[in-house]
Amino acid sequence: MTAIVEAKSVSKSYGGVHALRDVTFTAHRGQVNVVVGENGAGKSTLMKILSGAEQPTSGEILLDGEPVVLASPRDAQARGIGIIHQELSLFPNLSIAENMFAGRELRRGRRFVDAARQKHKAGEVLARLGQHGLDPRKDVGELPIGQQQLVEIGRALLEDVRVLIMDEPTSALSNHEVDVLFEVMADLRRQDVTVIYISHKLDEFRRIGDWVTVLRDGRLVAHESMSRTDTAWIVRQMVGRDPDSLYVRNGSPVGETLLAVRGLTVPGTVPVHDVSLTVRAGEVVGIYGLMGAGRTELVECLMGMRRAAAGQVLVRGRAEDKGTVQSRMAAGLALVPEDRQRDGLVQTMSVRDNILLATVARFTRAGLLSGGAEQRAAEAKVRELAIRSPGLAAGVTALSGGNQQKVVLARALLTEPVVLLLDEPTRGIDVGAKAQIAALMAELAARGFGVLFISSELAEVIAMADRVLVMARGRITAEFTADTVTEEALVSASASESVLEALP
Amino acid sequence: MLRRTLIAVGAASVLALSACGGSSDKSDSGSTPAASKLIVIITPSPDNVFFKAEQEAADAQAKKLGYETLVLSHDDDPTKQSQEIDTAISRKAAAIILDNAGADASVAAIQRAKDAKIPTFLIDREINKTGVAVAQIVSNNAQGAGLGGTEFAKLMGNKGEYAELTGKATDTNAGVRSQGYHGVLDQYPDLKMVAQQSANWDQAEALQKTQTILQAHPNIKGIIAGNDTMALGAFAAVQAAKKNIVVVGFDGSPDVVSSILKDGIKATVLQPASKIAEMAVDQADAYVKNGKADQPEKQSIDCVLVNPDNAKSVTNFAVAGS
Amino acid sequence: MTDTHVREASTAAAPEPGAPRGRALARAALLLLRGRTLVVLVILILFFGAVSSEYLTQSNLILMTKHVAINAILAIGVTFVILTGGIDLSVGSIAGLASMVAGGLLFKGLGVPGGTVFFSAAVVIVIGIAVGALVGAVNGIVITRFKVAPFIATLGMLYVARGLAQLHSNGGTYPDLAGTPARGNTGFHFIGVDSVLGIPVAVWIMILVAIAAIVVTTRTPFGRRIFAVGGNERAAILAGIRVNRIKIAVYVISGACAALAGLLLTSELGAAYPDTATTYELNAIAAAVLGGTALSGGRGTIIGTVMGAFVIGFLSDGLVLVGVSTFWQSVVKGAVIVFAVITEQAQQRLQSGLARRTA
Repeated sequence: MTAIVEAKSVSKSYGGVHALRDVTFTAHRGQVNVVVGENGAGKSTLMKILSGAEQPTSGEILLDGEPVVLASPRDAQARGIGIIHQELSLFPNLSIAENMFAGRELRRGRRFVDAARQKHKAGEVLARLGQHGLDPRKDVGELPIGQQQLVEIGRALLEDVRVLIMDEPTSALSNHEVDVLFEVMADLRRQDVTVIYISHKLDEFRRIGDWVTVLRDGRLVAHESMSRTDTAWIVRQMVGRDPDSLYVRNGSPVGETLLAVRGLTVPGTVPVHDVSLTVRAGEVVGIYGLMGAGRTELVECLMGMRRAAAGQVLVRGRAEDKGTVQSRMAAGLALVPEDRQRDGLVQTMSVRDNILLATVARFTRAGLLSGGAEQRAAEAKVRELAIRSPGLAAGVTALSGGNQQKVVLARALLTEPVVLLLDEPTRGIDVGAKAQIAALMAELAARGFGVLFISSELAEVIAMADRVLVMARGRITAEFTADTVTEEALVSASASESVLEALP
Repeated sequence: MLRRTLIAVGAASVLALSACGGSSDKSDSGSTPAASKLIVIITPSPDNVFFKAEQEAADAQAKKLGYETLVLSHDDDPTKQSQEIDTAISRKAAAIILDNAGADASVAAIQRAKDAKIPTFLIDREINKTGVAVAQIVSNNAQGAGLGGTEFAKLMGNKGEYAELTGKATDTNAGVRSQGYHGVLDQYPDLKMVAQQSANWDQAEALQKTQTILQAHPNIKGIIAGNDTMALGAFAAVQAAKKNIVVVGFDGSPDVVSSILKDGIKATVLQPASKIAEMAVDQADAYVKNGKADQPEKQSIDCVLVNPDNAKSVTNFAVAGS
Repeated sequence: MTDTHVREASTAAAPEPGAPRGRALARAALLLLRGRTLVVLVILILFFGAVSSEYLTQSNLILMTKHVAINAILAIGVTFVILTGGIDLSVGSIAGLASMVAGGLLFKGLGVPGGTVFFSAAVVIVIGIAVGALVGAVNGIVITRFKVAPFIATLGMLYVARGLAQLHSNGGTYPDLAGTPARGNTGFHFIGVDSVLGIPVAVWIMILVAIAAIVVTTRTPFGRRIFAVGGNERAAILAGIRVNRIKIAVYVISGACAALAGLLLTSELGAAYPDTATTYELNAIAAAVLGGTALSGGRGTIIGTVMGAFVIGFLSDGLVLVGVSTFWQSVVKGAVIVFAVITEQAQQRLQSGLARRTA
């Protein structure tokens, strides 16, 4: 039971933001060490430091009890620490063997790649992972996600890895693939490989983990042998506070049905199957689910960014059959997207232009933009949402994450929606801004809007939503009211394969 | 509103474009692969009327002698020319008539044709190697430039400032003509060249460069250009500046000839393009029939000066009675 | 090497002692970089003015501006496209095609059943511009509907339009565009040759096009949307912007501007030939880039592009004026363009650096 990797009093700050504060973390040799925490708790930062991708602002790393400096991922790899990222970093157009040796090809002579030896070694590693039948010459792009994940692991194993860090490796895997992965992890443990395993999925990591470490807001709050914990204890550690003190619960009276979705089916790599739901005036509805459950695809389809294969969308009782962004916007829907940088902000534009982007045509006189009217409208929204910025003319990238989120929200509100769709509205913003966004959502509901939001944070969805729908594998698998919802129920429903038969 | 405008615009443009159709038919028929009856004619872009005349004369003469023809343009790109010569080889042409794309860059391709037993007859431009092509029939650019230079000096009254527009520096004729001009002009101490610029044989570039040169040297009395398109560009600049400046070109193109008749451009040097092209085809025909050349490889055909005195008798790169 | 990350992070977090002065210097440098096109232009004018006494004469300045006009109009059109994150390589060929269409209509008229119709010069100009707009629309449709990368689509159009221009006259030149009173088609020389109030008509046209483009890009919703599409296309879609329409529109604008430039060139020359404006697309793109338009889209100004065209034009003409050989002209022009892009990068770095410190 010796420690192999330790982080001693490690802190990390980016600019003024503290991602890690004085964390002392121990990974036990030959065991599966689980690290859990909400988004933004500092898990990824800690892993980046342990894998050499980032340097700690203060504190030190011990390997086998000796202080070491991990200058780069390559350096860490040379010392036997490998990492598998959540997003696979494979080349789909190259073969398994080529992927495993990418960047460190075996040579024959000085210039030529020794393809035969690469293939042979790749085959050995695949066998170690229980994939005896898999041909190393096959293109990675042709493999299912689970096997791709194994190729990533194989890549790390090739380096004679002693410590393997896995960042949410199961988020895109089917149940069967998860089983295979866990067998591989058990094998690795027998081969004296230490695993550091980051996960969200309570039910899963309890099956495999030996130790559990909980991070919250950049601090290490608990480190315990898995056998001495239970799910409820872990959730308490993760949330760490009375959720109601942070989030404002909406309690306004519910009015007419504003949004009704019937049997919506959206094809794609992450499909949505036969989803029905309603959102009424004055109501905050949460959708809980894991990544890849089809939540984003659902709201994008509602907003007209994806085409539905079947189903109907009604806004204020009127069927909206024309599935374009313009028509849905005109009907009264507005979406605050999950990925602000990719789908929300125009990074080259100012704060003002970003706020007014969707409604710019309103601020014209004789076809020309009226600077005064634009300025007034933008100023009003900045005041209303308490957006902190160096000025309306400042570039939007100069704002903090929370304020950027409010800019996108301001743009959505200016379109005068009746139902506001928010996809992970609090992702990647600090706790203060989270509370503000939550308060805004409650306030909007009180003013008669319908609010539909997506969240993968248990505490948040429980605290904020009047009604919670759970999505898994493209279907709605459960529905709870604020009174009946519990963490355990959400977790089990989000992993469920069965579809909710009848809505109450 | 927008849609209606678009439709109107579309209709008008399609109508305008359809005017293309009128004269674009040229029989490039390659239906019968009768190897010995095909003459491949390769020239620079027929954009320039000179090459167009050359092309048409060779084409007409070959057809008259009972050959099929394949007319191609290499646009002064040696790579394209090389591919076109490969086409001629693969079609087993009886002969190639070529106005080449570079004195050195063309040698290898012509050698390839020779190795494939296809004789090449060069027209208008020489290459820097003998024994590869069967004939190199060119107008005597040096002699022609001498004629042009002499006429230019005479028009200038043997004194005053002048500017020279030279052709593309990679083209042999650009150098030969410039040297020919200077062989004459440099003998007059009172004739002073105040600017020399390359306008790359291009009309618009000649226009703009002449305008700028006239700014720098307002006392210029004459402009001598390495070819007629540049002379036309220079003359447009002179006209716009409302100046009385002697412009002399080289080629004898119809546009310049008509300008001479209207007392615009003063003189040009006519290269007997049609005559050279016809000679090349005749010699190719003789070679095909007898299996050997009946003329020496290097043949130089004298150029003719065109000025208001004889401009009326010039048609399509030929002076009547010459 | 090990702790570079740390140091970078700490400088961004807390200003070092003496930072205010450093910041003031950085601000001054930024101002200079933002106005770099103007700075370069002033340096050029001072330099050539010192070398040649003719450079700064009124007539030469007017002439150089007239030469600039053609490239500036092309570059303004291209700027619209680049702002959306696209590129238009076909503008030179569109200019050539428009000149041939106009030249053909003036020189030989339009053959219709039962005779030949001649249009007045004004109508010919409108038709010429319409041809350019139509070709631009084809570019836009190929790019949006068939999802062809703009580089490839307009590269293809570069060849297609040039080929059509050559087909139009079977490779020949339309030598005389003066028209005859009997045909009622005189006056084409007005746009390229004549002057109004001592300023060439071509320059007036450039000024009008520039003003219109400035108003469209900065004062209309359409202009704002162009910037949004170039800045972040996905965000623009979500903001309800009809991205494909915007894209088609900018290629139409680019095509129309190219055609107009081609007509000006042809009018000045008094002749239309199929190789008109060959490789002019490169000068136009260079002017836009010199003027600070980011090839990645979303960033740039019309006035910058016009200044860029002035730099290129004043530089080329200056070199001709002092008698520098053609080869050196190419070398110098290329060096200036690369230098401009380097300073553009420096400006971006400095700007984001300052923004981070003030935030």
